[in-house]
Amino acid sequence: MGAYVELARAHAPLLMMSTAFAAAVLATLSPPRVSWVIACGGALLSAVFAFDLALRLLLGGGEFAFLVEAVALETDGVTIFGAALLSFASVAALVAAGAQLGDYEKRAAPFALALALMVQAAWIGALGARDLIGLFVAVETAWLAAVALLALSAERSAQNGAMRMLSAGGVGAALFLAGAALIYHATGALDLPRIAAAHIEMADAAALGAGLIVLSIALKAGVAPLHEWLGAGFSRANGLAAIVIGAVGVTGALAVLVRLAGYFAQAPAMGDGVSIALALLGGASVVIGSLQAVGATNLRRLAAYAGAAQAGGILLCVALGSPAGVAAALIQLTALVATALALFGGAAAGGVRTLDGLDGLGRRAPLAGAAIMTGAISLMGAPLTLGFLGRWRLVEAGVGAGWWWAAGAVIFASLAGVFYGGRLIERLYFRRAGEVYLGGAGAWRFATAPLLIAAIVVTMLGIAPGLLLQAADAAAAHLLGAAA
Amino acid sequence: MSATFALFGVLIAPVLQALFVLALQRPPGLRDVMHIGFALATAICAARLVGAAADGEMVRIALAQPLPNVALAFVVEPLGALVAATIGGLGFLHAVHSAGIVRATQEKAPARLMAFMALASGATMAVAFSANLFTFFVAYQVLTLCVFPLVAHRGDEEARRAGRTFLATLLTASMGLFLPAMIWTYAIAGALDFQPGGVLAGRVDALTANILLVLFVLGLAMAAMPPLHRWLPESSRAPDPALVTIQGVAILPAGGVGLIKVAAFVFGPALATAQFAAYGLIALAGVSMCVAALIALSRQDVRERLAYSCMAQSLAVVLGVLVALPMGLFAAALQIVALACSATTLTMAVGTTGAITTRRTVADYAGLGRVMPWTFAGFALAAASMIGMPPFSGAWAKLWLITATAGAGLVWAAALVGAAAVLTFAHLGPLAANTLAGKAPTDAFKRPDGASILLAAPVILSAAATLWLLVMADPLSSFLAPIWSDGR
Repeated sequence: MGAYVELARAHAPLLMMSTAFAAAVLATLSPPRVSWVIACGGALLSAVFAFDLALRLLLGGGEFAFLVEAVALETDGVTIFGAALLSFASVAALVAAGAQLGDYEKRAAPFALALALMVQAAWIGALGARDLIGLFVAVETAWLAAVALLALSAERSAQNGAMRMLSAGGVGAALFLAGAALIYHATGALDLPRIAAAHIEMADAAALGAGLIVLSIALKAGVAPLHEWLGAGFSRANGLAAIVIGAVGVTGALAVLVRLAGYFAQAPAMGDGVSIALALLGGASVVIGSLQAVGATNLRRLAAYAGAAQAGGILLCVALGSPAGVAAALIQLTALVATALALFGGAAAGGVRTLDGLDGLGRRAPLAGAAIMTGAISLMGAPLTLGFLGRWRLVEAGVGAGWWWAAGAVIFASLAGVFYGGRLIERLYFRRAGEVYLGGAGAWRFATAPLLIAAIVVTMLGIAPGLLLQAADAAAAHLLGAAA
Repeated sequence: MSATFALFGVLIAPVLQALFVLALQRPPGLRDVMHIGFALATAICAARLVGAAADGEMVRIALAQPLPNVALAFVVEPLGALVAATIGGLGFLHAVHSAGIVRATQEKAPARLMAFMALASGATMAVAFSANLFTFFVAYQVLTLCVFPLVAHRGDEEARRAGRTFLATLLTASMGLFLPAMIWTYAIAGALDFQPGGVLAGRVDALTANILLVLFVLGLAMAAMPPLHRWLPESSRAPDPALVTIQGVAILPAGGVGLIKVAAFVFGPALATAQFAAYGLIALAGVSMCVAALIALSRQDVRERLAYSCMAQSLAVVLGVLVALPMGLFAAALQIVALACSATTLTMAVGTTGAITTRRTVADYAGLGRVMPWTFAGFALAAASMIGMPPFSGAWAKLWLITATAGAGLVWAAALVGAAAVLTFAHLGPLAANTLAGKAPTDAFKRPDGASILLAAPVILSAAATLWLLVMADPLSSFLAPIWSDGR
């Protein structure tokens, strides 16, 4: 038995992806409730592999030595950190899906669960891709699975949202392919480590290619102003689709962006250009996302725009190109996952779409209210939350690099967070209910509880973030070391 | 009781108070026993910490390490101990008074009101004993979030608007001004610890020091420094017990403590290099004191009048801190104590009056002292202290303040303090006198039995507290001396 466990651990990078794929296939062949159990089991197994890797390599200081798999995988620190984060979000979303299967027609529910697993597996695959072609295939698989998941919703308007996502994804795919072609033309390589180490003669073409790829992934991460699909997609999605796209899809795209930027930053011919592009995009996303969140009247749109502002902060961190910046980005990514789970999960559990629906929710659905409040205070950047920790680490890294304006952007995001986060809290606890509670009926509604509790606990990791900081530092150091 | 246990006690007891009050809402008697009992425990722990600070005991607890090199930590030092003992004692009286008020007014959600008052008290203790800027910032935010439900307690549109103004002003100032100053300080000094002599001393140039001072002073909007003062008059329609918390035992004292901690433990001698900003802020605070006292004179609602009056007194703390002399810091510390005693007494007296007579305007107060002699005796004593009449505590604070400003060559600032005292006399003196000298109303009481002892006793006891600086000024001077030592 021990030998099998060791064998599985040796192949963990492949297994954390393939178990989710296998569970997806099995789920489609089963009745709804059985498929839910299979989906949860598959996601959990994938999470076990991912967390085992993180414990061994990021916290235990083990060697990054893996067997050569049949597919082109390159496992680095950010792959492991991001995979752990994605699988955590996926487990939470799929367990909570038990309360939301009623949103689908009976025949569609197993497919929805399978697509959610596909999103997770494909983004993990993208995180571990060794070359740009593998990365493209994985990203597009994840994106199309998310589009299909959204389109499966019973509401017709969700299909319009899916069409928007499909169109945006098409643009992103074209940008990616053009960027990959330019990079291949300039470097003669598609392997990420080789690109990072290549002696580049055609620096402009390579930088342009890298910029196009960054834009393509940023579009899929919902970074403003490339987030046209975001509002329509989220506001029309049902509970499961919103949680999976918001917490798994967006996180996967951002983690891939962090990883890619780590590789591109190491190539002298591309590094500066990519850094400037990321900084500009990040700053714009912070400002635009924050302003849109202030004006939002739909809870999911608000969460999506606030996520865009947070994503901007992550891009600013990555733009620094330093281990401190990448580590700060990973902390912010963790904060984003927790916030997305709290807000989308709370909205799903409370049956809330518009801000009016939040009125008095703190009394009607205390756990959902607490989760949304926790997400809101993290968005404000309140101390002792992960939101504060992530922003503090960004400011620390930014000031260290002389980027004072980045500190200004962070403070702007926090100030905007005070307005939209404060509005959420006021509605939750200081208004009387204007709508009937639409949360699920029966015992299945409790399936959302683990997600909400997990979101609250992770957000409050800001109180004692020692292990998280250690893991992020190790992941960042390994990424930049591996890429160099 | 060990000092470490007492420090845990002042931080934990209010949280337990809130939990027990919420858990034991019925019968009301049990709820009130919990409310008053835990407030007493907090006061006893705070008193124990005064002894620890006087003996120079090193008491420090670190709860977490949320950032590298920065702990969520609390430490006992003289300023924190003094303020904690003052607000702990007043908090006990306030707890007794609020138990009476919620009965007299048949408050709809008394447990929620009491619970958030207790949490606010705990957060104020955390502010007072914060060991570094980060902990202070955390406690400050928690205090803001705990008082917000008190301001918005009534739940109507007016209360929600006041709550929004309160939350937006305090959080925006702290996030937009205080937080950048904190980050900047960390970037310069590599640490955020409060230390005698100041972490910035010798490390900061004049321009940076000036900018940092403005960011810190305006960022601490709880001190009600214009233009970030709107939250104070807006919140004057909060329930009476909440008003005591805001003006007497939590928000305004926390703002004052923050200013002194920043001046003494962050700037230290470096405050002298920020003279340009300091003088500008002194002028703003001095003029605003007079304007606030004038606006108070124009207000006919007693609670609005008190809000502006308290604002003027709080600005005296700002002024004392910015003089950049040990004497100014001492004056500021005394002013915090004096303001806490006076404001608590006045707001409790106004609360008692509102609950028993439903009278809220200046004109309606005439002669009420004849039918409510204890309450209005307390009101008159506290008003005299607020004005700065000897021998009450406000007089010593203002005397030191005028001496400090004149000693720093800022005679115009001393004149502004004097002018503000005259204007305070104008808006509180006749009011207090009229309550005692006017003709007694024949239909004063809404309740046939008048004010219960729960409503009257705390008022007169806290009014008596305004006398204690008469005998304590000198011992307090040596007690507080470590604050402005240079750390050597």
